[in-house]
Amino acid sequence: MKILIADDHPFTLQGTKSFVESYGYTVQDTSSNGISALNLITLHRPEIAILDINMPGLDGLDVAKKIQELKLKTKVILLTMHKELTIFKKANEYGIYGYILKEHAQTELEKCLQEVTKGNKYISEFLEEDLIVNTKSNFGELADLSLSERKILELVAQQKTSKQIAEVLFLSEKTVEGHRSKIIEKLGLPKEKNILLKWAMQQNL
Amino acid sequence: MVSFVKKQLFILLIFSIFISCNKEKDTNLSFKEGIAPKEDATRAWLHKVENYKKDKNYMTVFYPYYNQLLQKKKYLEAAEVLDFVCMYLADSYDFNDKFMATLYEFDKKYREKLPVLKTTFVDSFIANYYYDKYDLKKVETYFKKITVLEPNDYASCYNIARAYYDLSYVYYITGKQNLSLQANQKAFEYFNAINNPKGLAFVYSNYTNIYAAIGDKKKAIENADKAIESYKKIDNIYNVYIGLINKISIYEYLGDTRKEVLVDSVYQAFVNDKDQSAVLKMKIYNFKAENLVNQNKLEDAKIMLDKLKKVVDEINSEDLTKEYIVTQALYELKKTAKYSNISDIKNTLPQLITNQQYEKANMFLGVLQKDAIENKDYKSALQYEKEKKVIDDSIGNVVERVKIAELETKYQTEKKEQQIELQKTVILNKNTTIALLASLFIGMFLIVLVYVFRQKQKKLKLEKQNAQQYTKQLLEKTEEERKRIASDLHDSVSHELLSLKNSFEQKTEITNTKIDAIIDDIRIISRNLHPIMFDKIGLKGSVEQLVERTQSVNDFMVTAEVEYANSLSNSDELQLYRIIQEALSNIIKYANAIAAKITILEKNNTIFIEIKDNGKGFNVAEKLNGKNAFGLHNIIERSRAIGGEARIHSDKNGTIINIEIKK
Repeated sequence: MKILIADDHPFTLQGTKSFVESYGYTVQDTSSNGISALNLITLHRPEIAILDINMPGLDGLDVAKKIQELKLKTKVILLTMHKELTIFKKANEYGIYGYILKEHAQTELEKCLQEVTKGNKYISEFLEEDLIVNTKSNFGELADLSLSERKILELVAQQKTSKQIAEVLFLSEKTVEGHRSKIIEKLGLPKEKNILLKWAMQQNL
Repeated sequence: MVSFVKKQLFILLIFSIFISCNKEKDTNLSFKEGIAPKEDATRAWLHKVENYKKDKNYMTVFYPYYNQLLQKKKYLEAAEVLDFVCMYLADSYDFNDKFMATLYEFDKKYREKLPVLKTTFVDSFIANYYYDKYDLKKVETYFKKITVLEPNDYASCYNIARAYYDLSYVYYITGKQNLSLQANQKAFEYFNAINNPKGLAFVYSNYTNIYAAIGDKKKAIENADKAIESYKKIDNIYNVYIGLINKISIYEYLGDTRKEVLVDSVYQAFVNDKDQSAVLKMKIYNFKAENLVNQNKLEDAKIMLDKLKKVVDEINSEDLTKEYIVTQALYELKKTAKYSNISDIKNTLPQLITNQQYEKANMFLGVLQKDAIENKDYKSALQYEKEKKVIDDSIGNVVERVKIAELETKYQTEKKEQQIELQKTVILNKNTTIALLASLFIGMFLIVLVYVFRQKQKKLKLEKQNAQQYTKQLLEKTEEERKRIASDLHDSVSHELLSLKNSFEQKTEITNTKIDAIIDDIRIISRNLHPIMFDKIGLKGSVEQLVERTQSVNDFMVTAEVEYANSLSNSDELQLYRIIQEALSNIIKYANAIAAKITILEKNNTIFIEIKDNGKGFNVAEKLNGKNAFGLHNIIERSRAIGGEARIHSDKNGTIINIEIKK
């Protein structure tokens, strides 16, 4: 099992290398920028490439994209400070196998390597955790609902029709209807006529 | 601008002066005396009037030279030489047969080879010849041959003027004063056209004669003086004497007593002069002799008459000889009360009358009358007086006088009308020029105005462009700076913290959590500074992320609809993102809205952006002019910087911000 590690921070690079080696893997190449990393990957065809995203020259996403374009077998694990979902989504377009955060590397890197070696994907469990204060706790029974769903529920309680709700929230009536079904489903309400209105009135929202 | 206008005005003025200068030159068509061509020595010698007067060999030089030119077929040169010889001979009343033969030969053989205007001297000389021979009909015919021509240069204009003048004189002495006046006026016009003082002097002399003949004493003497003045101008003593002689003749004709004094003074001056022409001598001596006879100084008169006889013989002119005969007769009558050749006079008289030589005829009649009085034949004297009257009337009869007066009035009126016409034309021209200049000036002024206006607009546009460019650059630089700080924080500081976290030998949950919290804080700061990896994620992803975060952080219902094909540059996209961010932040802060929607649509080279909410709205104009409108101005300025136009509409139902960007 040959591995390439690329990171522009020498300490992080060294640290990652030590971790990887301590898990019993061979680190074939290390690189401090995306360009040389890509060159080494095309040259040595490592099974796994652990890439930082922010690097001079080509960044981790660029390298992943190139690997995908060149149809190389190297599996990419992104090891990054970026916690944002948008970035992960972008990275996912390039067919990466792993996405873990540097601050949780100690706990996740080994597991990630194992999963990727097996051919599975591993995404950091801390990724979806929103950066901002977790608001879920404040909503009690509504905690499982999304913002749109909660807003719609509020308006339902105000005895607004789906059409009116759609107008107020700048959504289409169809979308509102969809959300209403989702809410009923999430709250586990029985399928009755006007059940959502009744429930909302009861809850005194 | 003012200085520019001044400059234009100045140029205009110069221009107008230039035009008016040109105009003045054009109004008077005239001929200028050309520069004489180079002459060979012989020709130059022949050309000098002094040589003719002093050197007896003049004609012996002329003939071979002239014949030589004819042999060489240089007809024009021959004609030119012949021309000035003609001039000298005519002035001296020398019409010798040899020369006449030469002239007639030229007329017959060579004249047709040359331009008509170059050979008028032939007609002129022949006319002069006939004049000397009393054949005034022929004189008229020959001069008229010249006057029908139109001049084309200085010389031809002079010749025609001269012919008119001579014709006028002939008319005068034959009593056709109306024709004489007409011809003289023509002569005046032509001489005036070439600005020839000598010719003008001739014309004045003629006027003198004509006015005298019609009894206008005042005008006659006036013109005589004008003639003398003109002669003086050309500084030619010979001609001044001609003028003076004319004046004497007029005094004599008019019976003016000033004649005596004038004759004496002219005689005195002439005697003292060295350069004496035979013709002048004859004329002046004749007058002087007459004076002496009248003064009863008969001895002196006799001496004068003897001197005169020599001159008369020398000149050998029939015309002048008659004048001598009259004086001689008067002298004899005074001395002996009897003139020996009275029968000659009686016999010549009818011939003079037939030849229409009324002036001379009058003189002869005067002699006969004097003779009759001396012989106490009063009946004959009265008869002669009557005849004299008839002759006088022939020169300037009453009917003619009226006609002439009419003619003159007509002429003067015509002249005045012409002057008025000319003035009108001048005024019209001036008006046209003024109008032209005015319109030119107005035109120029308008052009300048338009130019200045255009420049101003251009400048404004440029300034606007520059300002926009500056704003754009400023915004971009700010973004760059923010991006740099964000990435420094995110990449470097976070990494340092990470390695710090890893370096603790004794890992405690508290420190780890703290450090993670710090890393998260830095993450938030850096994200607020600059959207994370904007150039990678793009406008659509970033806006969606912004929407998501606003929903979760602010618990605010906002949706986004993005149909965008990445056609803007990354920096422009970033500005657009900032606009949306700003608008969204305003909505959350002030609008009190239930929901908001962001729409980005790309259609036919245009990108439409709409951010709308259903909040309470605000007064846009008031807000924009107020203090705390940085957010709104930010939106407007950023839109401008990326070549778009932001329109903000707000009322109680909410606010809509529309931005349209043409690619």
